Amino acid sequence: MVGRNIARLNAVDVVLWGLRVGVVAVVVIGTVGTLIKGRYNAAQWFDFIMFGLTIGSIYAQIALGYTMVYGVLRLINFAHGDIVMTGAFAGYFVAMPLDRSGFLEDNPVLAMAAILLVAVIVSTSIAVLTERIAYRPFRRVVGLAPLICAIGVSFFLEQTFRGMFGSAVKSYPDPQWQRAAFHVFGFNVPRIDVLVIGLALIFMGLLYLIVQRTRMGTAMRAVAEDGEAAALMGIDVNKVVVFTFVLGGAMAGIAGVFYAFVYKQVYFLMGFTPGIKAFGAAVLGGIGNIPGAMLGGFFLGMVESVGPTLFLDGIGIPAPYQLRDLIAFTLLIMVLIFRPHGLLGEALAKKRA
Amino acid sequence: MGALLKWSAGVALLCASQATTAATVGPVTDDLGVIRIAKGAPIQIGAYWVLSGADTALGLDEKRGVEIAFKDMGGKLLGHPLKLNAEDDGCNAEGGQTAATKLAANPQTVIVLGPACSSAATPGAPILWQQGIVDICTACTAPALTAPTRKKEYDGFARTVFSDSEQGKADATYVHNVLKAPSVVTIHDGSPYAQQLQQVMADNFRQLGGKVLSQEAIAPTDVDMKPLLTRIASEKPDLIYFPVFTAAAAQIVRQARGTPGLEKTKLMGGGSLLSADFIEAAGPAVVGFIIGYPDLSPEAMGKNYPKFVEEYKKAYNEAPISGYHANAYDGAMLAVKAIEKVAKTDKDGNLYIGKKALRDAVFATTFDGISGPIACDQYGECSQFKPSVLEFTSSDPKTFGVGKNPKKIWP
Repeated sequence: MVGRNIARLNAVDVVLWGLRVGVVAVVVIGTVGTLIKGRYNAAQWFDFIMFGLTIGSIYAQIALGYTMVYGVLRLINFAHGDIVMTGAFAGYFVAMPLDRSGFLEDNPVLAMAAILLVAVIVSTSIAVLTERIAYRPFRRVVGLAPLICAIGVSFFLEQTFRGMFGSAVKSYPDPQWQRAAFHVFGFNVPRIDVLVIGLALIFMGLLYLIVQRTRMGTAMRAVAEDGEAAALMGIDVNKVVVFTFVLGGAMAGIAGVFYAFVYKQVYFLMGFTPGIKAFGAAVLGGIGNIPGAMLGGFFLGMVESVGPTLFLDGIGIPAPYQLRDLIAFTLLIMVLIFRPHGLLGEALAKKRA
Repeated sequence: MGALLKWSAGVALLCASQATTAATVGPVTDDLGVIRIAKGAPIQIGAYWVLSGADTALGLDEKRGVEIAFKDMGGKLLGHPLKLNAEDDGCNAEGGQTAATKLAANPQTVIVLGPACSSAATPGAPILWQQGIVDICTACTAPALTAPTRKKEYDGFARTVFSDSEQGKADATYVHNVLKAPSVVTIHDGSPYAQQLQQVMADNFRQLGGKVLSQEAIAPTDVDMKPLLTRIASEKPDLIYFPVFTAAAAQIVRQARGTPGLEKTKLMGGGSLLSADFIEAAGPAVVGFIIGYPDLSPEAMGKNYPKFVEEYKKAYNEAPISGYHANAYDGAMLAVKAIEKVAKTDKDGNLYIGKKALRDAVFATTFDGISGPIACDQYGECSQFKPSVLEFTSSDPKTFGVGKNPKKIWP
């Protein structure tokens, strides 16, 4: 029996199994080696995890936009990372005068609310306009044309913002209250990290409730299941698509402001890299699946932050942080080899079936 | 099959004859070919610099240096107008390749100035030299570009800027002997400039008796430096040396401040960060940050440098926005002087320039430039290096000015 199974194995299976065993071996040996070396103390490990959760929460928010649009339109909205950039820019133009006047320092809650509100309005408006002007004419087009259109929109947004605001890196304000840290059980927890993770979880929870519990959310899920059947049942598909872009644009605007407040820089190409990574996170979680996108975002953030140190330090690889994307995307590929529908994709597929 | 062989042999013969046979056009015979410029037509000088993105100031500053040089020539040379065809290379290899290909494809390109970044020059210079076009680089400082071991495909490459083998040595000397820092960690971003400069610095630092704890690497697009800095903090270095570019360097400067364990660690960058854009990107954390740089103080520069700065301010309503304008000015002057030496005019007023003759003239021309004496060695290194260390004193980008912010603190 075993012999027959071995005989059935082809070269691809052998390579894939070899790859799996190799990656698992590197992860296990590296982790054990790093822990035995004991180079990092508990506080430093705690920092690595906090950094991972912070960037992960931002990836998760961006990933939601990709996954919702894909769920409803089967379109990879390549320009979504640039919608994040528009939100960050809008926030910048509110944050700077508030910072100069001292309002951002003295009234953090009101100031942050104003910055987020403007960012959300701008990013949502641009997302909706993008859908109306660029994507809707491609709604019924099969093939790669809609994707190419999305790439075109991405370039258009980048170059428009470059033309309007220049190509230099602009610095986001850095108020004192963001620089402070909480002290919990001997660990330093930066306030901005707690704020970003906490608010991101709240906003993502709200979005989940909207999609699961409201009429529009139900319509959205219906269109995602079967657009034509939903239209026959009287659902206004155009309205649902616009609503999807509103939700995705809002999350992108919030993510843009958070990203800029954590990393303190805005420039016209800033959306590209987090956009690509968030797309990876959405695929990892199971594209079209909302909790999956959140999970994928946190997973990717954690692997990027903790992975190079945990896996590579122990096996003596120098300068491991240059391999951070390699590690993150290798693990992403590994997950997809084991679970082609992503971490939570299969549950959705079963439900649909 | 037979036809294919004949065709291949024909092509091989043609290539061989191109490589060895001199071309004669008008009154000029040259091994690499001759450029004919019709009477009244412009002399086209190609250029490629970073003219977009976070490092724009670096390239734009050099473009302005060349424009002033052309203006000083009256915009004309040998009765022909001077025309600058500047391309944007984005400070990366792909951009350098594209820009160089475009410039090489123009048969009227006489010579090329730039780029600002070694990443662009590394693939760009061989593409240009394949067409017999000399490339005078105005800010790319990677040692390999003018090293005695460089490949033949870089024979047409010269630069009016120093080599980082000098810069790295000077930085190591400053860190070890002046700061008295016993240990360093270096970071590069994979670009030829950063990779080679930090390697030279690390090698020299070790030779001086210092300890290089690790040599880290990032991607130029990285923004989250905290995990890397936390890792570096576990090694407790006295100084972190990171000659990377604006966006990534600004993130390191900002995030190092809040990293536990790096409170007392000094930070030092490279010449790519001498711009108001970097001050803007790094924010308040920039105060106290130091960079190694060639000495731009009036006493270290050529005697005409102060006049050039005045001209610059008048033309662009601001002080120089980065630090390589003088090298670019001298690069343009070197090109112009070499063209003057070899160009011949026929009785109808057409101009002829032999490509190999021009290359030889560039390498043989010497003069007192505004950045110092210009004289190329056989590997194309034409600049003399005087080291300095600059320290940023304010986070207001409007205060940017070489000598003011950042101010010279050494020697």
